[in-house]
Amino acid sequence: MSQYHAIVIGAGFTGVAIAHDLALRGFRVTVVERGPIANGTSGRTHGLLHSGARYAVNDQESAIECIQENQILRLIVPDAIEPNGGLFIAVDESDLEYREKFIQGCEECKIPIRELTPKEALRIEPNLNPKLLTAFTVPDGTFDPLRLALAFAATAKSNGAVFHLYTDVVDLLTDGQGNIKGVKAWNRAADKRFEIEGDIVVNATGAWVGQITSMAGIRVPIAPTPGVMVAYDKRLTQRAINRLNKPGDGDIVLPQRRMMVVGTTSFSIEDPDYVPVLPDHVALMIERGSELIPALRQTKERGAYMATRPLIGSGAPGRSISRTFKAYDHKETDNVEGLVTITGGKATTLRLMAEKTVDLVCKKLGVNVPCTTAETPLISYRKFFIN
Amino acid sequence: MENPEKKPNTRGIWDWFDPRGRNVGGWGFIINRISAIGLTVYLYLHLVMLGKLAQGPEAYDSFIAFAKQPLILFGEMLVIIGGIYHGLNGVRIALNSFGVGVSTQKQLLYGVLGLTVIGTLIFGWRMLLAH
Amino acid sequence: MSEEKWTVNFVVYRKKGEGEPHYQTFTLEVSPDEYVIDGVERIWAFHDRSLVFAHACHHSTCGACGMRVNGVEKLTCITRIRDVTTNGGTLRIEPLRNFPVISDLVVDMSRLYVGMDKVHAPAVHPLSMAPLEGGGIKPPRDVPMDDGKEYLRLADCIECGLCISACPIAGTAEDYLGPAVLAAAQLQGLNRAPDLTAIVDCVDGVWRCHSAYECTAVCPSNVDPGWRIMDLRRQVLAQRIRRWFGGA
Repeated sequence: MSQYHAIVIGAGFTGVAIAHDLALRGFRVTVVERGPIANGTSGRTHGLLHSGARYAVNDQESAIECIQENQILRLIVPDAIEPNGGLFIAVDESDLEYREKFIQGCEECKIPIRELTPKEALRIEPNLNPKLLTAFTVPDGTFDPLRLALAFAATAKSNGAVFHLYTDVVDLLTDGQGNIKGVKAWNRAADKRFEIEGDIVVNATGAWVGQITSMAGIRVPIAPTPGVMVAYDKRLTQRAINRLNKPGDGDIVLPQRRMMVVGTTSFSIEDPDYVPVLPDHVALMIERGSELIPALRQTKERGAYMATRPLIGSGAPGRSISRTFKAYDHKETDNVEGLVTITGGKATTLRLMAEKTVDLVCKKLGVNVPCTTAETPLISYRKFFIN
Repeated sequence: MENPEKKPNTRGIWDWFDPRGRNVGGWGFIINRISAIGLTVYLYLHLVMLGKLAQGPEAYDSFIAFAKQPLILFGEMLVIIGGIYHGLNGVRIALNSFGVGVSTQKQLLYGVLGLTVIGTLIFGWRMLLAH
Repeated sequence: MSEEKWTVNFVVYRKKGEGEPHYQTFTLEVSPDEYVIDGVERIWAFHDRSLVFAHACHHSTCGACGMRVNGVEKLTCITRIRDVTTNGGTLRIEPLRNFPVISDLVVDMSRLYVGMDKVHAPAVHPLSMAPLEGGGIKPPRDVPMDDGKEYLRLADCIECGLCISACPIAGTAEDYLGPAVLAAAQLQGLNRAPDLTAIVDCVDGVWRCHSAYECTAVCPSNVDPGWRIMDLRRQVLAQRIRRWFGGA
């Protein structure tokens, strides 16, 4: 029985998790990525390992995915996670009004929470806003974005996946009938152009899926939606701090190493290749962040940058669209064989996105191997660079 | 990711002596190496000079007359600067190697540099007076 | 963030394959409060798509964007343009030293990863192993979590390679473990990890250092490898002395 060859475009979270799953299920895998690992949206996530509580009220599908994947990731890649939990805190009346819905939502999604008095909350996190009205513990965490991606990539590589980094996909290869049979690549590091043929091409380019599908004359409803992140120079809490309210701007502050990262905002753009930092967005982060942790105002800014979420669907930008993911079999949607697109989603659900995508690939090719990524610990991220 | 066997991006030993972009510790390192080379050269010259002693009083006297030239005096100043610095920094580094004074290593280096300047001035003054 | 605009010349090191390295100048309009990586990224996006450079997180946790800016090792995502040049000034952007250059600004840091792997450097460790200092603002309290477990945090060392680039010895001794690796060994402690003694107590280990302390000067992440290497020497010597007197 010959091995099927899968080409994965994109080595962000989705791409590396798919490469890992494909390799475990016996595929020959080639990953083509135009930069280094996770240099697009994935690297720039603030790193919140979601408990799902943020979505427990208005996007329960996402919430349930998050809590399940949260627990899986803690087991398979502890090397990239600070598992210190999180808090949702209410600092004004509007936040308090959300409390009932929050409790109910978390119960429905089976997210374990515990309410604390302000005094208890301030005891465990003394830098919180002393005027806070109530707090809930949640099983959040912080992860290192690059190391999470590298752990998947390293494991995939150890199972035979080949990575072409700094290699742009400049076109898709087609057979005579408009079906996809590979990619045309430009290795920018060596300045060499070459072609790769495969049995299936998986488009895992996140906010950029539209650029790849347009090479096959296909449109997908992807809405690149960037937002700002600001890093501050002191670690002021041990836990992730969330605003107890419906998702809004600047309502997540989390610790990572010796910093705090505050995010984020939400607006639409056409081309995610470069998004300049907008100073008023940065100013908003200081405002909103210091409502949760007043000491942020006196803390020096360490970095500021934009990260572009891949949201599915057009129309109203940002928050009203579901944060779940979607896989497109282009044979079904556009009568083009040989191409599958996966986009949307959140960092926390990377493994699940890969599972669903590879399930689809297996179904298309008649491969009958189940997914084992939920039980397979990942190897050390460092091994990606060790030959 | 392909990576053919490549040499590291370095100019090897020339990087040891390039102070551009370096901090005070890097300067300390560079001056340590230069003074080491200088002192070694001086040691050789010193032995040559002592060898003159074996050739009798006239050879020695003519050498001493030669040694009073300003250029040689300048060279001797360099030996003093180099010797004081290399000795004191050597003590600092030796202490550091046993884990002593490492958290204050920068201040100690400034101290070494300061003492070198002071020592140079004292010896320089005495040398000028003597000539 | 100000609305000021500066004109800055980015003189960027370019190298492809076996070709000769050369410098290419790009003149950009930048805000002085922007970071150097923003300029480099704009060069790729709008001026020259063949430019190859490494970056990922843009907030100093991944360690990917280390480069030399005007000859000094910097993590370009947290280096403000205002701090390294002036309006009308020049920024020379070069790859790190002491690693093989893959292309343009990207280097092959395997020697660092091989070393970190060898000393099984912890990527995440308990707060007690590397405590945070206070510093004027109330420090996070070390109150145990609900299940009694300790807080964990990601290690200070982000494996960015700046220390190896700045180390004069790493340029002449390719097998030298290097500051980051020795610091990671020191962090674990030879008492707790005795298998590390053989790895660091050798000519290319802890004894290779010649006290330039450039590593500590350029580290963007509070590791202070210079101090840690000397402390590791102290640990090695303590062990030797104990063995000599018939101890463990």
